Amino acid sequence: MTTYDWLLFFHVTGAFFLIGATVCAGWLTFLARRRERPSEIATLLGLVRVVLPLMFAGVVLTLVFGLWLVRAANQGYGYDDAWVIAALILWVLANALGQAGGKREKETQELAARLASEGDVASEDLRARLRDPATLALSFGSGVIVFVILVLMIWKPGS
Amino acid sequence: MTIAVLRPHSWDFPLFLHVLGATLLFGGMLTVTVVGIAAWRRRDVAGLLTGVAFRTFLIVVIPAFVLMRVAAEWILSREKDQIPGLDNKTWVGIGFIVSDAGVLVLIALGILGYFSKRRGGGFTTAAFAVLSTVYLCALAVAWFAMSGKPGA
Repeated sequence: MTTYDWLLFFHVTGAFFLIGATVCAGWLTFLARRRERPSEIATLLGLVRVVLPLMFAGVVLTLVFGLWLVRAANQGYGYDDAWVIAALILWVLANALGQAGGKREKETQELAARLASEGDVASEDLRARLRDPATLALSFGSGVIVFVILVLMIWKPGS
Repeated sequence: MTIAVLRPHSWDFPLFLHVLGATLLFGGMLTVTVVGIAAWRRRDVAGLLTGVAFRTFLIVVIPAFVLMRVAAEWILSREKDQIPGLDNKTWVGIGFIVSDAGVLVLIALGILGYFSKRRGGGFTTAAFAVLSTVYLCALAVAWFAMSGKPGA
Protein backbone atom coordinates (compact mmCIF):
# COMPACT_ATOMS: atom_id res chain seq x y z
CA MET A 1 0.00 0.00 0.00
CA THR A 2 1.27 3.47 -0.89
CA THR A 3 1.30 6.51 1.39
CA TYR A 4 -1.76 7.77 -0.49
CA ASP A 5 -3.62 4.50 0.26
CA TRP A 6 -2.86 4.78 3.99
CA LEU A 7 -3.91 8.43 4.10
CA LEU A 8 -7.14 7.57 2.29
CA PHE A 9 -7.78 4.68 4.69
CA PHE A 10 -7.44 6.93 7.78
CA HIS A 11 -9.55 9.64 6.13
CA VAL A 12 -12.28 7.11 5.26
CA THR A 13 -12.04 5.64 8.78
CA GLY A 14 -12.69 9.12 10.15
CA ALA A 15 -15.68 9.47 7.82
CA PHE A 16 -17.12 6.14 8.98
CA PHE A 17 -16.63 7.12 12.63
CA LEU A 18 -18.19 10.54 12.10
CA ILE A 19 -21.16 9.45 9.96
CA GLY A 20 -21.71 6.23 11.93
CA ALA A 21 -21.79 8.08 15.25
CA THR A 22 -24.01 10.79 13.70
CA VAL A 23 -26.51 8.16 12.50
CA CYS A 24 -26.44 6.48 15.91
CA ALA A 25 -26.92 9.76 17.83
CA GLY A 26 -29.65 10.97 15.45
CA TRP A 27 -31.57 7.69 15.59
CA LEU A 28 -31.42 7.39 19.40
CA THR A 29 -32.49 11.04 19.76
CA PHE A 30 -35.38 10.44 17.34
CA LEU A 31 -36.51 7.39 19.36
CA ALA A 32 -36.14 9.27 22.67
CA ARG A 33 -38.46 12.01 21.40
CA ARG A 34 -41.21 9.43 20.86
CA ARG A 35 -41.06 8.17 24.47
CA GLU A 36 -43.21 9.38 27.38
CA ARG A 37 -41.43 8.13 30.49
CA PRO A 38 -38.44 10.24 31.62
CA SER A 39 -36.45 7.11 32.59
CA GLU A 40 -36.68 5.79 29.02
CA ILE A 41 -35.83 9.20 27.54
CA ALA A 42 -32.83 9.51 29.87
CA THR A 43 -31.62 6.00 28.97
CA LEU A 44 -31.77 6.57 25.21
CA LEU A 45 -30.23 10.05 25.32
CA GLY A 46 -27.60 8.74 27.74
CA LEU A 47 -26.52 6.13 25.17
CA VAL A 48 -25.76 8.95 22.72
CA ARG A 49 -22.90 9.92 25.08
CA VAL A 50 -21.30 6.50 24.49
CA VAL A 51 -20.65 7.22 20.79
CA LEU A 52 -19.40 10.80 21.27
CA PRO A 53 -15.68 9.77 21.51
CA LEU A 54 -16.08 8.04 18.13
CA MET A 55 -17.68 11.19 16.73
CA PHE A 56 -14.85 13.39 18.02
CA ALA A 57 -12.25 10.96 16.63
CA GLY A 58 -14.04 11.11 13.27
CA VAL A 59 -14.05 14.91 13.32
CA VAL A 60 -10.27 15.00 13.86
CA LEU A 61 -9.37 12.16 11.47
CA THR A 62 -11.45 13.52 8.56
CA LEU A 63 -9.90 16.99 8.88
CA VAL A 64 -6.26 16.03 9.47
CA PHE A 65 -6.05 13.27 6.86
CA GLY A 66 -8.36 15.13 4.47
CA LEU A 67 -6.03 18.14 4.40
CA TRP A 68 -3.02 15.83 4.12
CA LEU A 69 -4.67 14.00 1.20
CA VAL A 70 -5.25 17.23 -0.74
CA ARG A 71 -1.51 17.81 -0.58
CA ALA A 72 -0.39 14.20 -1.10
CA ALA A 73 -2.84 13.12 -3.82
CA ASN A 74 -0.83 15.01 -6.45
CA GLN A 75 -3.82 14.93 -8.79
CA GLY A 76 -4.29 18.62 -9.31
CA TYR A 77 -6.27 19.22 -6.12
CA GLY A 78 -5.45 22.31 -4.11
CA TYR A 79 -6.51 24.04 -0.93
CA ASP A 80 -8.05 26.76 -3.13
CA ASP A 81 -10.42 24.37 -4.96
CA ALA A 82 -14.06 25.34 -4.43
CA TRP A 83 -15.10 21.85 -3.23
CA VAL A 84 -12.27 21.77 -0.67
CA ILE A 85 -13.16 25.23 0.67
CA ALA A 86 -16.89 24.35 0.73
CA ALA A 87 -16.15 21.11 2.60
CA LEU A 88 -14.06 22.97 5.21
CA ILE A 89 -16.76 25.62 5.74
CA LEU A 90 -19.44 22.93 6.06
CA TRP A 91 -17.19 20.92 8.43
CA VAL A 92 -16.89 23.96 10.74
CA LEU A 93 -20.64 24.64 10.46
CA ALA A 94 -21.56 21.00 11.20
CA ASN A 95 -19.36 21.03 14.29
CA ALA A 96 -20.75 24.34 15.55
CA LEU A 97 -24.37 23.22 15.07
CA GLY A 98 -23.69 19.78 16.52
CA GLN A 99 -22.00 21.23 19.60
CA ALA A 100 -24.88 23.66 20.25
CA GLY A 101 -27.52 20.96 19.67
CA GLY A 102 -25.60 18.45 21.77
CA LYS A 103 -25.46 20.88 24.70
CA ARG A 104 -29.26 21.24 24.60
CA GLU A 105 -29.73 17.46 24.32
CA LYS A 106 -27.49 16.97 27.34
CA GLU A 107 -29.63 19.37 29.38
CA THR A 108 -32.75 17.46 28.26
CA GLN A 109 -31.15 14.16 29.29
CA GLU A 110 -30.21 15.58 32.71
CA LEU A 111 -33.76 16.85 33.24
CA ALA A 112 -35.20 13.47 32.20
CA ALA A 113 -32.82 11.67 34.60
CA ARG A 114 -33.91 13.97 37.47
CA LEU A 115 -37.60 13.43 36.70
CA ALA A 116 -37.00 9.67 36.52
CA SER A 117 -35.72 9.70 40.08
CA GLU A 118 -38.70 11.80 41.24
CA GLY A 119 -41.58 9.54 40.20
CA ASP A 120 -40.85 9.02 36.48
CA VAL A 121 -43.55 11.41 35.25
CA ALA A 122 -42.82 13.78 32.35
CA SER A 123 -43.10 17.51 33.10
CA GLU A 124 -44.26 20.21 30.68
CA ASP A 125 -40.68 21.47 30.57
CA LEU A 126 -39.41 18.07 29.42
CA ARG A 127 -42.13 17.78 26.77
CA ALA A 128 -41.34 21.30 25.53
CA ARG A 129 -37.63 20.47 25.34
CA LEU A 130 -38.33 17.29 23.35
CA ARG A 131 -40.46 19.28 20.88
CA ASP A 132 -38.10 22.28 20.72
CA PRO A 133 -37.64 23.08 16.99
CA ALA A 134 -34.36 24.94 17.60
CA THR A 135 -32.72 21.87 19.17
CA LEU A 136 -34.11 19.73 16.38
CA ALA A 137 -32.75 22.10 13.73
CA LEU A 138 -29.30 22.26 15.36
CA SER A 139 -28.86 18.52 15.89
CA PHE A 140 -30.39 17.21 12.69
CA GLY A 141 -29.06 20.16 10.64
CA SER A 142 -25.56 19.16 11.70
CA GLY A 143 -26.23 15.59 10.57
CA VAL A 144 -27.58 16.69 7.19
CA ILE A 145 -24.48 18.85 6.60
CA VAL A 146 -22.25 15.83 7.26
CA PHE A 147 -24.02 14.00 4.41
CA VAL A 148 -23.65 17.06 2.14
CA ILE A 149 -19.88 16.89 2.82
CA LEU A 150 -19.99 13.22 1.76
CA VAL A 151 -21.61 14.30 -1.53
CA LEU A 152 -18.78 16.83 -2.07
CA MET A 153 -16.14 14.19 -1.34
CA ILE A 154 -17.55 11.83 -3.98
CA TRP A 155 -18.37 14.30 -6.76
CA LYS A 156 -15.60 16.85 -6.13
CA PRO A 157 -17.44 19.47 -8.25
CA GLY A 158 -15.13 21.60 -10.34
CA SER A 159 -12.20 19.17 -10.14
CA MET B 1 -2.03 5.22 -8.38
CA THR B 2 -5.45 4.18 -7.15
CA ILE B 3 -8.73 3.56 -8.89
CA ALA B 4 -10.45 6.23 -6.83
CA VAL B 5 -8.22 8.91 -8.32
CA LEU B 6 -8.77 7.74 -11.88
CA ARG B 7 -12.50 7.14 -11.75
CA PRO B 8 -14.68 8.95 -14.30
CA HIS B 9 -17.60 11.07 -13.09
CA SER B 10 -20.11 8.54 -14.48
CA TRP B 11 -19.13 6.26 -11.55
CA ASP B 12 -19.92 8.92 -8.94
CA PHE B 13 -23.61 8.15 -8.37
CA PRO B 14 -23.31 4.38 -7.83
CA LEU B 15 -20.21 5.00 -5.70
CA PHE B 16 -22.14 7.55 -3.63
CA LEU B 17 -24.99 5.07 -3.07
CA HIS B 18 -22.47 2.37 -2.12
CA VAL B 19 -20.66 4.63 0.38
CA LEU B 20 -23.97 5.99 1.71
CA GLY B 21 -25.23 2.44 2.27
CA ALA B 22 -21.97 1.39 3.89
CA THR B 23 -21.86 4.35 6.29
CA LEU B 24 -25.56 3.92 7.18
CA LEU B 25 -24.91 0.21 7.72
CA PHE B 26 -22.02 1.02 10.05
CA GLY B 27 -24.13 3.63 11.89
CA GLY B 28 -27.01 1.19 12.23
CA MET B 29 -24.75 -1.61 13.45
CA LEU B 30 -23.03 0.79 15.85
CA THR B 31 -26.45 1.64 17.30
CA VAL B 32 -27.45 -2.03 17.50
CA THR B 33 -24.16 -2.88 19.20
CA VAL B 34 -24.24 -0.03 21.74
CA VAL B 35 -27.90 -0.67 22.59
CA GLY B 36 -27.38 -4.46 22.59
CA ILE B 37 -24.47 -4.26 25.03
CA ALA B 38 -26.43 -1.86 27.25
CA ALA B 39 -29.40 -4.26 27.22
CA TRP B 40 -27.09 -7.12 28.19
CA ARG B 41 -25.51 -5.18 31.08
CA ARG B 42 -28.57 -3.32 32.40
CA ARG B 43 -31.41 -5.66 33.30
CA ASP B 44 -33.61 -2.77 34.53
CA VAL B 45 -33.98 -1.35 31.01
CA ALA B 46 -33.39 -4.54 29.00
CA GLY B 47 -37.02 -4.64 27.85
CA LEU B 48 -36.80 -1.15 26.32
CA LEU B 49 -33.35 -1.63 24.82
CA THR B 50 -33.89 -5.05 23.23
CA GLY B 51 -36.91 -3.55 21.45
CA VAL B 52 -34.87 -0.55 20.29
CA ALA B 53 -32.05 -2.82 19.06
CA PHE B 54 -34.40 -5.05 17.07
CA ARG B 55 -36.29 -2.10 15.59
CA THR B 56 -32.99 -0.45 14.59
CA PHE B 57 -31.90 -3.70 12.98
CA LEU B 58 -35.07 -3.89 10.88
CA ILE B 59 -35.46 -0.19 9.98
CA VAL B 60 -31.83 0.93 9.56
CA VAL B 61 -29.46 -2.04 9.18
CA ILE B 62 -31.35 -4.20 6.65
CA PRO B 63 -32.21 -1.37 4.17
CA ALA B 64 -28.65 0.01 4.49
CA PHE B 65 -27.17 -3.42 3.75
CA VAL B 66 -29.37 -3.81 0.65
CA LEU B 67 -28.40 -0.33 -0.59
CA MET B 68 -24.69 -1.00 0.02
CA ARG B 69 -24.77 -4.43 -1.68
CA VAL B 70 -26.86 -3.45 -4.74
CA ALA B 71 -24.77 -0.30 -5.32
CA ALA B 72 -21.59 -2.40 -4.95
CA GLU B 73 -22.70 -4.59 -7.86
CA TRP B 74 -23.60 -1.48 -9.88
CA ILE B 75 -20.21 0.20 -9.39
CA LEU B 76 -18.39 -3.11 -9.93
CA SER B 77 -20.15 -3.64 -13.28
CA ARG B 78 -18.98 -0.16 -14.37
CA GLU B 79 -15.40 -0.69 -13.15
CA LYS B 80 -15.04 -4.16 -14.69
CA ASP B 81 -15.45 -2.65 -18.16
CA GLN B 82 -12.33 -0.55 -17.65
CA ILE B 83 -10.21 -2.52 -15.18
CA PRO B 84 -9.29 -6.04 -16.37
CA GLY B 85 -9.12 -8.74 -13.67
CA LEU B 86 -10.95 -6.64 -11.10
CA ASP B 87 -12.85 -9.69 -9.80
CA ASN B 88 -9.55 -11.28 -8.75
CA LYS B 89 -8.22 -8.31 -6.80
CA THR B 90 -7.65 -8.99 -3.10
CA TRP B 91 -9.57 -5.95 -1.92
CA VAL B 92 -12.63 -6.83 -4.02
CA GLY B 93 -12.48 -10.40 -2.65
CA ILE B 94 -12.40 -9.12 0.94
CA GLY B 95 -15.42 -6.94 0.20
CA PHE B 96 -17.34 -9.91 -1.22
CA ILE B 97 -16.43 -12.14 1.73
CA VAL B 98 -17.57 -9.59 4.32
CA SER B 99 -20.77 -8.70 2.49
CA ASP B 100 -21.80 -12.24 1.48
CA ALA B 101 -20.91 -13.82 4.83
CA GLY B 102 -22.64 -10.79 6.30
CA VAL B 103 -25.97 -12.09 4.96
CA LEU B 104 -25.65 -15.15 7.21
CA VAL B 105 -24.60 -12.97 10.15
CA LEU B 106 -27.57 -10.66 9.58
CA ILE B 107 -29.97 -13.62 9.48
CA ALA B 108 -28.49 -14.87 12.77
CA LEU B 109 -28.73 -11.36 14.25
CA GLY B 110 -32.36 -11.10 13.15
CA ILE B 111 -33.25 -14.39 14.88
CA LEU B 112 -31.31 -13.50 18.04
CA GLY B 113 -32.74 -9.96 18.05
CA TYR B 114 -36.30 -11.29 17.76
CA PHE B 115 -35.93 -13.72 20.68
CA SER B 116 -33.95 -11.16 22.67
CA LYS B 117 -36.85 -8.71 22.28
CA ARG B 118 -39.43 -11.33 23.25
CA ARG B 119 -37.51 -12.43 26.36
CA GLY B 120 -36.27 -8.95 27.28
CA GLY B 121 -32.73 -10.05 28.18
CA GLY B 122 -30.79 -13.23 28.98
CA PHE B 123 -28.58 -15.44 26.81
CA THR B 124 -30.01 -14.35 23.46
CA THR B 125 -29.33 -10.69 24.34
CA ALA B 126 -25.73 -11.55 25.25
CA ALA B 127 -25.29 -13.51 22.00
CA PHE B 128 -26.88 -10.67 20.02
CA ALA B 129 -24.48 -8.12 21.59
CA VAL B 130 -21.41 -10.29 20.93
CA LEU B 131 -22.35 -11.14 17.33
CA SER B 132 -23.17 -7.51 16.49
CA THR B 133 -19.75 -6.47 17.86
CA VAL B 134 -18.04 -9.08 15.67
CA TYR B 135 -19.94 -7.89 12.59
CA LEU B 136 -19.04 -4.27 13.38
CA CYS B 137 -15.34 -5.29 13.36
CA ALA B 138 -15.87 -7.13 10.05
CA LEU B 139 -17.27 -3.93 8.54
CA ALA B 140 -14.09 -2.13 9.61
CA VAL B 141 -12.04 -4.78 7.77
CA ALA B 142 -14.22 -4.18 4.68
CA TRP B 143 -13.68 -0.42 4.66
CA PHE B 144 -9.94 -0.99 5.15
CA ALA B 145 -9.98 -3.17 2.00
CA MET B 146 -12.20 -0.73 0.05
CA SER B 147 -10.17 2.39 0.90
CA GLY B 148 -6.61 1.03 1.19
CA LYS B 149 -7.09 -1.46 -1.65
CA PRO B 150 -4.36 -3.90 -0.51
CA GLY B 151 -3.01 -5.98 -3.39
CA ALA B 152 -4.33 -3.54 -6.02
